[in-house]
Formats: sequence, structure tokens, C-alpha cells
Amino acid sequence: MSEEIKTFKVTIDNITIDVAPGTTILNAARQIGGDVTPPAMCYYSKLEGSGGKCRTCLVEVAAGSTADPRPMPKLVASCRTAVMDGMVVKNITSDKVLDARNGVVEFLLINHPLDCPICDQAGECHLQDLSYEHGTEGTRYEFKRRTFEKEDIGPLIQLHMTRCILCYRCTYVADQITDKRVHGILDRGDHAEISTYISKAIDNDFSGNMIDVCPVGALTDKTFRFKNRVWFTKPVDAHRDCENPKCCGKATLWLRGDEVYRVTTRTDPWGEVQSFDGKPGWICNTCRFEKKKTSDWVVEGLTTISRHSVIGANKYAKLEMPKDTIKEVLDGRDPKLLMDIHSVSGVNKPEIYLSELDRPAHIEDFAKPTEHKLDKPVQPSLLNEEKK
Amino acid sequence: MKKLLLEKAHVEGIRTYEVYRREGGYRSVEKALKMAPADITEEVKKSGLRGRGGAGFPTGLKWSFLAKPEGIPRHLVVNADESEPGTFKDRYLMEFIPHLLIEGMVVSSFALGSNVSYIYIRGEYAWIVDILEEAIAEAKQNGFLGKNILDSGFDCEIYVHRGAGAYICGEETALLESLEGKRGNPRIKPPFPAVKGVWERPTVVNNVETIAAVVPIINDGGEEYAKIGVGKSTGTKLISACGNINKPGVFEIDMTISVEEFIYSDEYCGGIPNGKKLKACIPGGSSVPILPANLLLTTAKGEKRMMNYESLSDGGFATGSMMGSGGFIVLDEDQCVVRHTYTLARFYRHESCGQCSPCREGTGWMEKILLNIENGKGKKSDIDLLWDIQRRIEGNTICPLGDAAAWPVAAAIRHFRDEFEWHVQNPGECLKRNFGLAHYADAIHVPVAG
Repeated sequence: MSEEIKTFKVTIDNITIDVAPGTTILNAARQIGGDVTPPAMCYYSKLEGSGGKCRTCLVEVAAGSTADPRPMPKLVASCRTAVMDGMVVKNITSDKVLDARNGVVEFLLINHPLDCPICDQAGECHLQDLSYEHGTEGTRYEFKRRTFEKEDIGPLIQLHMTRCILCYRCTYVADQITDKRVHGILDRGDHAEISTYISKAIDNDFSGNMIDVCPVGALTDKTFRFKNRVWFTKPVDAHRDCENPKCCGKATLWLRGDEVYRVTTRTDPWGEVQSFDGKPGWICNTCRFEKKKTSDWVVEGLTTISRHSVIGANKYAKLEMPKDTIKEVLDGRDPKLLMDIHSVSGVNKPEIYLSELDRPAHIEDFAKPTEHKLDKPVQPSLLNEEKK
Repeated sequence: MKKLLLEKAHVEGIRTYEVYRREGGYRSVEKALKMAPADITEEVKKSGLRGRGGAGFPTGLKWSFLAKPEGIPRHLVVNADESEPGTFKDRYLMEFIPHLLIEGMVVSSFALGSNVSYIYIRGEYAWIVDILEEAIAEAKQNGFLGKNILDSGFDCEIYVHRGAGAYICGEETALLESLEGKRGNPRIKPPFPAVKGVWERPTVVNNVETIAAVVPIINDGGEEYAKIGVGKSTGTKLISACGNINKPGVFEIDMTISVEEFIYSDEYCGGIPNGKKLKACIPGGSSVPILPANLLLTTAKGEKRMMNYESLSDGGFATGSMMGSGGFIVLDEDQCVVRHTYTLARFYRHESCGQCSPCREGTGWMEKILLNIENGKGKKSDIDLLWDIQRRIEGNTICPLGDAAAWPVAAAIRHFRDEFEWHVQNPGECLKRNFGLAHYADAIHVPVAG
């Protein structure tokens, strides 16, 4: 009998699942997947000690365990709370949780610059996703947002402290992936900042992974800076034989045409680095910053982006084919021509109906710039009779 | 009333070992080392001693939770990082009668099996570090510390560790981080310090006053100690009183007196100066809810409010407060509650460690809104916003600092809402007169909980 009890039964939002003892609520919810999974800004399963800080993953424990079914008095951080057998957790079914989460998102945003239009992280930013789901359209914060002195932390990584949400992930990367940590949190409270004691100090073979773990645009790739928007680039999986034994050599290339704009680690559905053979697939700085030719890599194929971010939203996952004809778009109704643009437009030659061509339009079909007389008034004629 | 801790505090030269010993010091060590460690814990349990740092958790119970795995050292850490505004009782105790703490620590270390114990003291108490280190050296010379204390085979060393000026390091896990030489960020619990504390070893963290109270418990016996006080508030408690009172200072009380007596009796605070009336009071250090005069003196049930754990928290946060750490701050009718709340919010914003988002961002936001209201730039909606912010901080943070920052704001709005509204409606008025609404000093309608 005791042989059989090797798993804990945990119910999250009325979905019951068996998980191994020691699993956290968050990881149990990830096994279920979907909306049940609490968002996590600071927790990173591959970084030991991370989590507990951002408070976005707060959940309500309605029953502690079968042995002690009392509810927990406070909301708990699901990333750092281990499940017990018979635990009942409420995430999106609890108003208390949603209210607290909205609160956390509001707190995270009050001092965030919201400079998404010029931020390289836009499109793959966890804070953006979180704000879409839990943020409000306006802000109740009426004060000057917090700013920091600019700090140059090195040649490869750009630090934007104003965007930082102090998840501490990058310090864990420096501690656990690189040889030594030269940056950290200086100061405390709302003036705490990520910084190096000596400027331009971050210079390490694996420091680039800090960029990938950063949930916001606080740490971005200097070699990709302002080059492109992530949703214009095409992610492909690729690998190469890296001479660095600690580098896994498996990466995602972000292409536009044949040009490699950016190299990152491969991510799993939770925005974390993928594991290969049980080991997190961190890549070295050589792969990331220097191998920017497709010839450096063996391309495996398109990356599937399942994350519900801007990139994934309508491009790669659940692609819906556009409807073929206007009739289909209008649910079977015939289009009604209100105005013949053809006769108004100075773009194409008046004698050619582009819509009636049985071939793609060529340059000859269009009016030459010189033929384009703006001063001559064109007579608009409603409902071209000849066409019918 | 018999004083247990401060009775000898003003004997000439009590700081020195000779005088302290002559006055009956270190008797408890002699007695305790002949007892079994478990019996000492049992004695502390019997005494009903509750943690004096603020939370009021039963000390004996806390000690009994200490994990005792084979071969792993255990530690006692005394929390002397007394940084709560309004609380200065430990400073008094350590400054005037340092040997009492050392004596209590030796006994407690023996009970807990800690061979190396620490005093984590706030950095600002620099001169007390010297006093304590001198006391430790004297105790060592006289065989009450060091190797083989009183030929019992028990070794104990005490080290004094100075903090670097952070309120957050008074939180026990942040204290342990700081003691380890790291950034003083609170740890995520569990594991609790009793299982994994300093250097991942089982650790008990106790307040200075708690450890000092172990001395009379061992000397007189736990049952004798439990006879003092009332209900679950046993023994004596040090109260550091300040604010608008005639006699600010540290008083040892036996928790059977009423709040009214404590404020107006000549033995304690000696009343409010200049014939002013009592407006409000924070009974247990800056983080506990503020109470207006009428709720302070009588509970919502109409009973007299007493100076003990149960009575002060009677009515929950709706109409009650907390004993806290015993920092008793009295406000007379001239004091402005908004300004006062702003001052506290400023403190918590400055002291937030910045680790978790609600506290890091929320404390700063509250401070700015309060400053606006105080300066006459506030809006009526700001009051509701403040309430919303504090509600979303409270309970959602890693450590109790978030709660400590939220409670004073919540209580101020709960009990003094029309003073906030008055500030909004009469912008800048309070800056000219430098006080808020005096009418709270008069008896007003007592809201009933629920």
C-alpha cells in the first residue's frame, strides 16, 4: 500500500493532478497548463533560489492538505510553496487572488517607463503579457516615475534600470552560470538597482544568458539594439558545434531574410530556457554575439512559439487562413460598390481595371509619375455602369 | 510592583561584573547548568513568556520547535536590532544592565545547546557594543562564558555583530542573512530558522528582553513568573513611552494596569504636558495600528483597556491594536494624524528592502500621496486610493514589513478619515496651524466591530 502512495494529489482550480512530493504549486499548475498556471516574473525553474519576490504567482490555498484541511490565512507564493497531499488551490477561481495580482501588476507598472515602442523586449516581454491580462487601461499613479543614473555594464549587454522589476534572475545567472558575479543589487527599497560596482565590468563567457532570463527590457542585447522589432524577425531553431564545453550549442536564430539579427537560447512555453538531456541549454557569448551568419549554424526549422505573446499571437500558432473572397468575408453578401476608386485614383492607368486582370499587375499597368496630374480635377462617377 | 528586569538597573556600577554578581547576578547560570536543558525549556514554557519583539509568540514553544539533528551545531541569536520608531527598551536594558542579557544568553544557550551565540545589534548602538563586549570579557574572565562553564562541560561563546543601519535586519531571516554577511533580504519561509537558520543550522532568534526575562524565570521558577500579570500576558514587560507625555522613558510594568493609568499615573508617563488632551496613541511601536483616545482607553465592548497582549488587541484591527514591541507613542490634541502617518510612511519606504514588488513600490506610492495630502495637494479620491494600496500590500509580501507599512496607514484612515478629508477640503490649512483636528480628543462615537 505504502508503495503506491508516491504522488500527491493536488487540486488547482477544480482540476486534480498527481504530482511528485516536493513539487511546488506553480510547477504542478504548469503540468496542467493553460490558464490555471499562475504567471511568474521572478521564478525561473532552472535557477536555484529564484522566486518568491514578484508576488504575481500568489494563489489561495483553500485546504492545506488531507491531514490538515485548514486554509492558509494568507495568499502564498505558488513558486515557493510545495504541494501537500490533498491540497486545494484556487488561482483564477479566486477573486482574492485576481485582486492581489492586479495589485501587483499595478505596483510593477507605476514606476515602469512604459517605453514599449522603443524597447527591444517589446513583443516578448513578460510584463507586457502580464499587463494585457491583469493591468488597467489607466494609471492611478500621478507622480514622476523613478529614474536612475545610466550605468554602462559592459560591451555586450545594455542595462535599462528604469525597466527593471528587480526579479533578481540575472544575479542568479551570474552566480550559477558564469564564473563570477560582478553585479548585484545596490541600495534598497524603491531605489534599489541592478548595477556593477565598477563600470563596464560584466565580461564573462555566459553573461549573455542574463539577457534571456530578464523578463522585461532591463537587460537587452547591445548587438541587436534598435536593429529590428522581434515580431518582424523569424525565429528558427539552429545548432552548431560550440568549442565551449559548457555551451549547449542549441539556439534560436532570429532572422530577417538571410540575416541573423539575434541569437538567443531556446525557450520553453513558460519563457524559460529549454532543457536538453536534463540540463538547461545555456549558450555562450561566442554563439550569441559573434556567430551572426546563417553559415555558422545548422538550421533545423521554424521555432514554434507557443507563448501567448505578441509574436505568438497570430503568427506561428493557431494560424487562421484568411478568407478567399470578399463574399466570404461579408458572410455571403455581394459587395456593394459605393465608389469606383479606379477612376479617382491617379495610380493606375485609367483604361486598366486592376481587379479584372488575370495576372499580377506589372509596372506597365500603373501610371508613370509624369502622367500623374494632380492639378487636373478627376470626375468621380458613382457606380460605374460599364463595368456591369 | 516587583520589577524583574530593571530592579537593579540603577545600582551604582551595575555594569561591572563585581557589582552585578554582588547583587545576585549569574545565580541563574549556576542553577541552570545543574538542570537538564529540556527542563529549562519546560520551565520557560510554564512561565508563559511571550516573545517581546513584537509578535508575542510563546518563547517556550519556539524553543521546542528547534530541530536537533545529530552533529549539526545550533545557534542562539539575540535580536538587538531594535529599530522600530518608538521602541527603545532593549537599548535601555543593554546599556544599563548588560550582564543581565549575557546571563540570560548563557542560560538560553545551554537550554538550546548553542555553543556559539550571537547578539545582532543595530549599528547605531555603537557605544552599546562596547558595553556588551566589556561585559562578555568580564563574564569570560569569571568563568561564566568560554570553555567548560562552571565545570559543567558546557562551552559557550558570545559574539556581538553590528548591523549596518537597516530596519529590515530586525526581521529574523533578514537578520540571519545579514549575520552571514549577505545583503539583508528576508528569506522566504518555510524553512523556518528553527530548522534552517544561520548557515543553514537550526537557530532560535529571540528579542533582548525575552532572553533577559529567562533569568528571573530560572531564578524563581516558571510558575512563579506566570503568577505575575494576567491571562496569557505573564511576567513583566518593558514599555518605552514617548511623545506628548510628561515623563518619557522606559518603564517595567506587570501588564495588569490599565492604559489610562499608564498614561496618567505619576509612576509611569505622568500625564500629558501643558494641560492638553489625549488625541491618539500607538501602543506598540510604529507599525501597530494607531488608536484614537476613546478606543484606547476603553474597548469597543466598553471595558477598560489594559496594558496587555489580549486587551490591546481586543476588537481586532477594527477597534483594537497590538502590544507589539512596547513602543508607546502618545499624541496630544495638537498633533496632526496625516503628518504623523506621512512620517511613518516615509520611514517604511526608506526601510523597505525592495525585494518584493508590493512593498517596494507601494510604500513609496503611499508616502507620495500622504505628502500630497499633507501639503494641501490631495484629492478626496486619494484617501480611497491609499486604502486600496495598503490593502494590496498587506499580507502579500514575503516578510511582515509590508504589513507593518500598511497597518499604520490603514488605521489612520479607519479612525481619522475626516481628518484626512479636512486636509483635502482645507488645503494648506494644517501647514499654517501645524495640527490636525483636535476634536478626536473628545469622546466620540465608538464603532462596533463587524
